[in-house]
Amino acid sequence: MRASLFITCYNDTLYPETGRAVVALLERLGVEVEFNSLQTCCGQMHANSGFRAEAFSQAKRFVQIYRDAETIVIPSSSCVAMIREQYQGLFEELGNERLRRDFAVLSPRIFELSEYLVDHLKVEDLGAYFPHRVAYHASCHGLRALHLGDRPYRLLAKVRGLELAPLANTDRCCGFGGTFSVKNAEVSSAMLTAKLQDILATRAEFCTALDNSCLMHLGGAMHRQFAGVRTVHMAQILAATETHPIEELP
Amino acid sequence: MKGPESLARNKPPRVQLDPRFAPPFPQAALPVLRNTQLRKNVAHAIDVIQSKRARLVEEKADWEELRAAASDLRAHVLDNLGHYLEEFESQCTAAGGHVHWAADGTEARRIVLEIIRQKNANEVIKIKTMTSAEIQLNLFLEQAGIAAHETDLAEIILQLGGEAPSHIVVPALHVNRSQVRDIFAQRMGLPDLSDDPQALTAAARTYLRKLFLTVPVAISGANHLIAETGGVVIVESEGNGRMCLTLPQTLIAIAGIEKVIPRFQDLEVLLQVLARSATGERMNPYTSVWSGVKPGDGPQNFHVVLLDNGRSDMLRRPVERQTLKCIRCAACMNACPVYRQTGGHAYGSVYPGPIGAILTPQLQRLEHAQSLPYASSLCGACYEVCPVKINIPEVLIELRAQVTNREREEPRRFFDPLYLGLRIASFILASPRRLRLAQRLGRIVARLFASRDGWIHVLPGYGARWTRTRDLRGVPSQTFREWWSTRNKGEQ
Amino acid sequence: MNVASRDRILAGIRAALPVRSVERASADYQQIQRSYIRTVVRNSSECTALLVERLREYGAEVAEATPSDIVSVLSAQLRASGGSTFAAPPDLPLEWRVPGFEWLIDDGLSYEQLDKVDGVVTTASCAVADSGTIVLHHGSAEGRRALTLLPDWHLCVVRASQLVETLPEYFSRFPHAPQLATYISGPSATADIEMTRIKGVHGPRFLHVIILRDVS
Repeated sequence: MRASLFITCYNDTLYPETGRAVVALLERLGVEVEFNSLQTCCGQMHANSGFRAEAFSQAKRFVQIYRDAETIVIPSSSCVAMIREQYQGLFEELGNERLRRDFAVLSPRIFELSEYLVDHLKVEDLGAYFPHRVAYHASCHGLRALHLGDRPYRLLAKVRGLELAPLANTDRCCGFGGTFSVKNAEVSSAMLTAKLQDILATRAEFCTALDNSCLMHLGGAMHRQFAGVRTVHMAQILAATETHPIEELP
Repeated sequence: MKGPESLARNKPPRVQLDPRFAPPFPQAALPVLRNTQLRKNVAHAIDVIQSKRARLVEEKADWEELRAAASDLRAHVLDNLGHYLEEFESQCTAAGGHVHWAADGTEARRIVLEIIRQKNANEVIKIKTMTSAEIQLNLFLEQAGIAAHETDLAEIILQLGGEAPSHIVVPALHVNRSQVRDIFAQRMGLPDLSDDPQALTAAARTYLRKLFLTVPVAISGANHLIAETGGVVIVESEGNGRMCLTLPQTLIAIAGIEKVIPRFQDLEVLLQVLARSATGERMNPYTSVWSGVKPGDGPQNFHVVLLDNGRSDMLRRPVERQTLKCIRCAACMNACPVYRQTGGHAYGSVYPGPIGAILTPQLQRLEHAQSLPYASSLCGACYEVCPVKINIPEVLIELRAQVTNREREEPRRFFDPLYLGLRIASFILASPRRLRLAQRLGRIVARLFASRDGWIHVLPGYGARWTRTRDLRGVPSQTFREWWSTRNKGEQ
Repeated sequence: MNVASRDRILAGIRAALPVRSVERASADYQQIQRSYIRTVVRNSSECTALLVERLREYGAEVAEATPSDIVSVLSAQLRASGGSTFAAPPDLPLEWRVPGFEWLIDDGLSYEQLDKVDGVVTTASCAVADSGTIVLHHGSAEGRRALTLLPDWHLCVVRASQLVETLPEYFSRFPHAPQLATYISGPSATADIEMTRIKGVHGPRFLHVIILRDVS
């Protein structure tokens, strides 16, 4: 069983420990992890900001790079959502028949991390150990575009020692929204504060999600406010064991 | 109590919702975000509607099937719009109505004024209609010496209080009871009026009764136009609609061309989704349907003004065309986490919220309201609740692409840090080698701004928009791909 | 008549869309998938029970009657209203204009007269149980629209045989659209002030429904 890891541009640069956790996790499950170093970005940032031609270039590269991969695993629900929702349209508008066909063939082999574990590997108990109180933030793309449903909860339920604190208003956006977080920084911050209210009310020590983009926004504010809560991608929780606890990056 | 005739000419609203002049959304949102009263009022209102809606949707076993049928019906109409409009015109005319076509707001206003002048009337009563607000009808009529009396409770609050609507179903949701009391006390001459909603509503009832019984011309919108019968449908709660469409001699209904539906029977779908979505009720108190003129019952002089005002242009491409499926239920803005924080005025248009963010720029042919497609985090909550399944995020992204394509031709792009940043990013991301180089450079630059704990608390320029409220974790000393390549080398 | 605009608008629409014939439009309309509930599951007494529940939820007063006691039920309701003068549509059954009250037949009453009566009694064309909706088609036993709008108190007699369970059932029962229709689902209301539901704005503040059991 082989999985090609698409790390995503921002995880590669800012959250490499998430990638390391995904590798550790998958190898523990007997998956041979590949990393195609030609990868850069899926094009989400450009597509969502209106830079279609630029997004198309990135999408084209993605399809070309992964043409022969057995499966592609992506620890970012927003990137997977973008690929599923927008690649087709980009290829129809700017691409050719070959590209459309290649993508159609490739598409079923692309998995978000929790989808890969639950649907493809059919495992929920990963032998993880994480003795902390944790709140799970359901990012909008995972919730509405990927319909992840209870997959994340099922995975967390099997983590020994983990106490899942129910989060109120799980369906309400945290306010990140990509460039929205800076183009509309004030509104983004107002939405962020509302979400923090719910997170802090859980008295959890960690807030986790399947998307580091939301966590960058939530964690950035909680760090600023000395709130006593840390953010960590779910891959790191699932990779944590008694002998290999999560990496402590600053 | 002062009667409506004794009132001085209504003052124009403090906030004029004209997309041509409204400040961009981020700027317009600022004062609203600082208005704690308004934010509280808005959140309360939408929480009430949302929870009522959720309960009813939960209870409705065929909700998704209804949505699908409503969406297909509305899409079908738009695919055949010319045909259905002609059928409506022919049936309405045969039933004794007069149908007018207005290419734009200016023409619509002129037509309405002419009809009013033909009847030598100097005042009209109005049912709430966003379409008339879209064409700024009231201001135009007032300038022509015709008093336009709103009769919907929310619209009276806004009209008397000099306010602008902030929601398309509950337009005064940003106003609380003591604010309403102050407005009524002053403008209706009721100094001892309490702020109890019951008392406020009773004051409005008394204030309007005489108007209903005497004013000879009424103006309405239309929730739907029925092609098969030439019928018009008005959905309401208070009864002011029934008053306006029944008692006066002359009735003018202004409707966007997209309002038409094929058959009377199609109401079985649309009425089931509309009230649940708009007010969280199984059915609103009053729905009125009428075709043309019936001797001895209601207005004998009936006109429909079909308004284009940019709508036919939106038919060209399916991604944009879906915007016109809208049945004006406002479920999208009730579900929107952005709207929840800002209310409607920040959108600078009588159509706020998610639907406004896609409709307003398109009606303006993207000459104005270019900031609205970006007034969204693309969370998709709107699409989830839309009873006619408008994929609002898809349209938002499409409009962003159109705005960006315009910007590509404009010199201002060289002064837009985000534009430049994204263009540079695209260049970098086109090559892994460039990316590796940029990552190394980024790490060095980030260290300049990082504090001792490795986090960045302040960034200059555009970056300050992030760091104003959030820290940024510094760039780690090793990227994932660097780690991977050393790991593999190690293994070898 | 602004023919120029009409032509311009229609031309603009046609230019924007792929050309389709009227026949094709008709065929496409028939193809629209309608998977929503179009069957009924409740029998007559269950429908009645549901209608009563919905009407009461909205704050309407509901009573049931049989052909033998309708007159006394009606009298009781009229007495309880405290009113003395009631309006009626021209073809309201004669025996329902019960003695002890002044009856004004609406054969062209002025708005002022209608505004002054204490209430109005009418029949209806249909009632939809699921939404608690009373349907008036404004025939001569229901009266013109102003008749059930201006008085503050409206009593509507609905026959049990006129009940349907769902809105789709109403539309299948009335395939030919009436020229006028008013769908009443409770007394008028507003939630415009702080989302506080206030009943009785314009339109009758008091709605009474008598369900006349004419089916066994």
